[in-house]
Amino acid sequence: MANDGGISRSGASSEERADNEKQLSVQFKAQHAIVVAFFLLILTLNALALYLFCSGFLLSRLVLPNRSQCALPPVELLNGHTPGSHDRGCWHPKTFDKAVIILVDALRYDFTVPFQPQPGDEQPHHFHNALPVLYETAVQSPGNAFLRPFIADPPTTTLQRLKGLTTGSLPTLIDAGSNFAGTAIDEDNLIEQLYLAGKKVVHLGDDTWHSLFPGYFEPNLTRPYDSFNVWDLHTLDNGVNEHMFPLLEPEMAGRWDVLIGHYLGVDHAGHRYGPDHPAMTDKLQQMDRVFRSMIERLDDSTLLVVMGDHGMDAKGDHGGESDDEVEAALWMYSKKGVFGRSDPAFAEPPATAKVRPVGQIDLVPTLALLLGIPIPFNNLGQPIEEAFIGKKGADYKNMAEVSRLTAHQIHGYQGEYAKARNLDESATSSTQQLWRMAGQTWDEAVQSRNSADGAWKKAYQVYKAYEDENLRLCKNLWARFDLNSMMMGIIALVGTFAVIVMYAQSIQGDRAGLTPALLLHGLVGMSCGVVGAMLGKGGAGNTMQLAAFGAVAGPVVTMSIAFFRAREGLRVPYPRTFWGGLCFLSTLLLCIGFAANSFTIWEDEILLFLLTTFGVAMLASSLGQADSTDRNFGAANSLSFLAATRLSSLSRLCREEQMPYCVSTYYASALSSTSAGWQTLIPFVVALALPSILRYHYVRTKNFQGSAVIWIALALRIALVLTAAFWVLNAADDGDWYPSIPKATLKSSRTVLAQIVLAIAAAAGYSTYIWSPPLLLVRTEEPSSSSTPSTTSTSKPITPNHPTGGAILTTINPTPSTPRPKLLILGYANTHGTRYLLLPLIYLPALLLVQKPMGQGALALCTISILNVLEVLDACNLRRSPLGPVLLGIMGCFYFFKTGHQAALSTIQWETAFIPLKTIRYPWSPILITLNTFGPQILCAIAVPAVAMWKVPPKSPGLLGRIAGAMATHLLFYAAITVATVVEAAWLRRHLMLYRVFMPRMLMAGVVVLVVEVIGAVVAVGGVRWSVQSVAGVFGWAEG
Amino acid sequence: MSTPTSNGKAPLSTPPSKPVDILQTQPSLLYSNLHPILLLSILLFSFKTLVRDPVNTLLGLAPTVTILQALYCVLCLPSTNQAPAPPQKPGQKKKQAKPAQDAWAKAVPAFLSLLLTLFLSTPILYITLILFGAPLTTHQPHTILLALHFALLTTPQLYYAHGLEAQAWYKIVSLQLPVDELVGMSLGACMGAWVGAIPIPLDWDREWQKWPVTIVAGMYGGAVVGKFVGGYVCRGWRIKLS
Repeated sequence: MANDGGISRSGASSEERADNEKQLSVQFKAQHAIVVAFFLLILTLNALALYLFCSGFLLSRLVLPNRSQCALPPVELLNGHTPGSHDRGCWHPKTFDKAVIILVDALRYDFTVPFQPQPGDEQPHHFHNALPVLYETAVQSPGNAFLRPFIADPPTTTLQRLKGLTTGSLPTLIDAGSNFAGTAIDEDNLIEQLYLAGKKVVHLGDDTWHSLFPGYFEPNLTRPYDSFNVWDLHTLDNGVNEHMFPLLEPEMAGRWDVLIGHYLGVDHAGHRYGPDHPAMTDKLQQMDRVFRSMIERLDDSTLLVVMGDHGMDAKGDHGGESDDEVEAALWMYSKKGVFGRSDPAFAEPPATAKVRPVGQIDLVPTLALLLGIPIPFNNLGQPIEEAFIGKKGADYKNMAEVSRLTAHQIHGYQGEYAKARNLDESATSSTQQLWRMAGQTWDEAVQSRNSADGAWKKAYQVYKAYEDENLRLCKNLWARFDLNSMMMGIIALVGTFAVIVMYAQSIQGDRAGLTPALLLHGLVGMSCGVVGAMLGKGGAGNTMQLAAFGAVAGPVVTMSIAFFRAREGLRVPYPRTFWGGLCFLSTLLLCIGFAANSFTIWEDEILLFLLTTFGVAMLASSLGQADSTDRNFGAANSLSFLAATRLSSLSRLCREEQMPYCVSTYYASALSSTSAGWQTLIPFVVALALPSILRYHYVRTKNFQGSAVIWIALALRIALVLTAAFWVLNAADDGDWYPSIPKATLKSSRTVLAQIVLAIAAAAGYSTYIWSPPLLLVRTEEPSSSSTPSTTSTSKPITPNHPTGGAILTTINPTPSTPRPKLLILGYANTHGTRYLLLPLIYLPALLLVQKPMGQGALALCTISILNVLEVLDACNLRRSPLGPVLLGIMGCFYFFKTGHQAALSTIQWETAFIPLKTIRYPWSPILITLNTFGPQILCAIAVPAVAMWKVPPKSPGLLGRIAGAMATHLLFYAAITVATVVEAAWLRRHLMLYRVFMPRMLMAGVVVLVVEVIGAVVAVGGVRWSVQSVAGVFGWAEG
Repeated sequence: MSTPTSNGKAPLSTPPSKPVDILQTQPSLLYSNLHPILLLSILLFSFKTLVRDPVNTLLGLAPTVTILQALYCVLCLPSTNQAPAPPQKPGQKKKQAKPAQDAWAKAVPAFLSLLLTLFLSTPILYITLILFGAPLTTHQPHTILLALHFALLTTPQLYYAHGLEAQAWYKIVSLQLPVDELVGMSLGACMGAWVGAIPIPLDWDREWQKWPVTIVAGMYGGAVVGKFVGGYVCRGWRIKLS
């Protein structure tokens, strides 16, 4: 380094130096762009690999285009009914002309039956006994009504349920994530059959129906409402009522045939407050009143159906497959009095959902036959007994007829499906036997003309057995995985992982220098791979999948070649130091642990254990430092890290499997999803303390200058106070603290607050970050006569890490004899680190805003821990060890759990989308939910470059390479977890806990690694550019 | 390319310490070998009651372990030669050691070591256990007794041999001392306790999975293994926290 201080001196070579600087600047920008591109390439590889795996792992079902025809029953009818007439019934005489179908979202079965005291649960909850009408009518007039548990096939998301309730087929996982944007159902379904039969179908409520059945509803009368505004309990329900009741008046009878109403209030009350909340009582009581007045207005030829599409868990969320989530209720009512019970014991509705449940798909044949339309072609459900058994409960002939029709429809479907999928007969052999038996029994019953009900009953039972067995078989059949594509995905993931390992831990020299060659090889490999896959494709196999595999395998091979060419500068990547070993061991243990459901369930506690291990080791290492400042400061930061970690661990949201060994603290109670009153104080504490703590770390190295003052002391604090105010308003709304203020006012004022916070973070924050000069103060001091100029002419910091050593002295005037003025640069020691750390700090307000109050406390502690880690890494001089990046990865995972999440779909806090918005808006709503869900991982990922930049001299050669190394090591941690969970999910694909435990964790690992890769490449490594540039603008560029 | 920040960042640079030798007398050697056997056997004998009633068993075992550790210190270990256990009277005892009050001179530091173990190590280790995720609101007696046993296994011998001098303890906690029996035993107990936490979350529904049985078992096992490994296999090794 020719010019140590980087302060340009006047001289002959100044022009030359300026040229050189410019060249170095261009070189940096190019290298930087290449490094970012390399990380994007890694992102692409991982995304393709995960796509390959998921396309084989997430189960898929072939959708057949066939439609059932009114005039073509699946089997010849023997009861004298002429098929083909919509007026009398297509395949079977119809019972009702019209129907009112009411879907109460998340109507759990125990909401509808009287409370049953149980040991440990003696008192009724808010959701009990609030909706008694269904039970009362079923008990008082069994001929007019019946109520039964209505079991959903998971996933219990509304979109999936609507598909099941209208097509009668089983859901497949591939659709599970598409709740945001439903797509039209393109298989045979009830709505389409009604439409084709010329019935006028009116729909009111949840707009999901419109994306599923576009164009089938009466345009004049139908009223769709936005379904996703979880915060709004009443608009939709009141709207449905307002439009529904006029239609029930006799003069409107001719305008519609089937009226579908979809109420969301119960579901929203669950999401927002949890079931055990007075709001739920109100909502259920409102529903009770609605049904009572519907009963009053109903005419004789109309069937009234009320059902839930799924239940809700103890916190009011749904999506998974726990008992509470799948147990909905089904109630049918008519004034005709056609319902019966085959056994007097069935007169009373089951006390719990475990007794005599019916499947949700059973609604499909039942409704179709009652309304006289064909059973949809893909249906797998069976007719519900009460609806066909006759008022006396003994009409087994009718029962056998409908059962036979349904069985033949199912049989026909199975035949077509087997043909389309080239399945052999052996797959369905167990049903074949039942099928033959059913045929024989039926024939016997027909021949003994005047026999009693016994023969018919037997026929009905055998057909029912066939339908049951068939359903069981289908559930197994569609749990079939595409092993080829899963294998390709695993190979691709492991290959990508190997590249990350080599890049992160194997390169000894300048990583940034090697990156262009790697990128080039990778891109060439990718094109070769795709072309190769296309050429080598011998007709078989899925084109998309082969191309994707080629696009990963190619670059992995070519990058290995690039590594081999550069083998001089490489070393075998295995842990060489204590810290490397500890990082390796922790990651390995976590990865192995994901093969056991217990370790996956208790991941939050395990992460606390690991983090504390790291904290204690850092404390030990700090205490071993010779320099007492390092020792004390390192130890203090380690202790702070330990305390922050344990403190944040008190914020818990238990998953169902952790019960009863876990107490949730994240919300007001275990059955609620609102924050407790005292929790709204947390954001204020954060607003008060966090900026001061940040300030302390900046002041310590004298970097609390310029933009840091503006951002930390002013903008951040204002944003945090506004955030706290937002959550107070929200709590006031939830708890009805000020009933005099209209809800709309509360809502719009807090939305504005949220928008201001986001604006501060995005606009003010980024402009501060991009245009801020380094956080330095340059001061000229007149020389004192007794100064020692010879020692001050060096620009090396004297004791750069000493708290008072942040200043650097440089002479401006090289003449040795005269006393010279000194140039004092305050904040030299941590120029890079503090300048870069502004970036995570500008994301902080946005990330905090979208967390619940408890989560804000946790995330603030996470921020403090990040600073602690940076300081300990400096005190122990470990900034080049894998410790920092890996520890940040573990912290990201840990704080994920501490911000009210679990590796389960039901803990996604969908209501986040409405913090700054009133309606769903793309792409903002998904972005907000991502920020909420993966906030800690995002924050930690953005902090990773700071590990390599914290307290390094302004002119550090190879800095970019070390930043890339730190980021790659960070990704390595997440990639390892992804590889482990993917391999383990594939291995345990028949495990009982697959859908409850392993698959959600695998999906989460996959999404996290992609999110971290995007953030790491674009925000973190991408953001390094401005920080390094601004430092180099003052100190000049480092060579090499 | 050297970072200027690396100056003065070397580990503590006091004169290199040597592994502690146990006294080469007959009773010392005998007890030194007997000590791990005794520790392990009291655990094995009381394991069933430990599972059934952890609090009372741990309470009942504590005096026995205290005596075993005190005997180990007195019989096998050289007392601290730099500074005796209580730092306030360093000169006094050395003079006293010359007469035939040898046993007395050993008993006092041993007693002080145990006092420090009870009143200094136990609270610190209790906090450590809480930090690692020990239950905060329930199982208090369990955790306190666990901390006591943890302290008894890890620290009396170190207090006895190294005194209470800050520099020495910086070296001990940062693992800069060469490995010997004492370090091995303490470190072994820590690692054993760490490993002992692993089976707790498993859903095997075994009685012995309950708090803090596995940790106690791991701790004792680790201490015995560590003592052997530190005393024979890895003696003199230096662990580098870097």
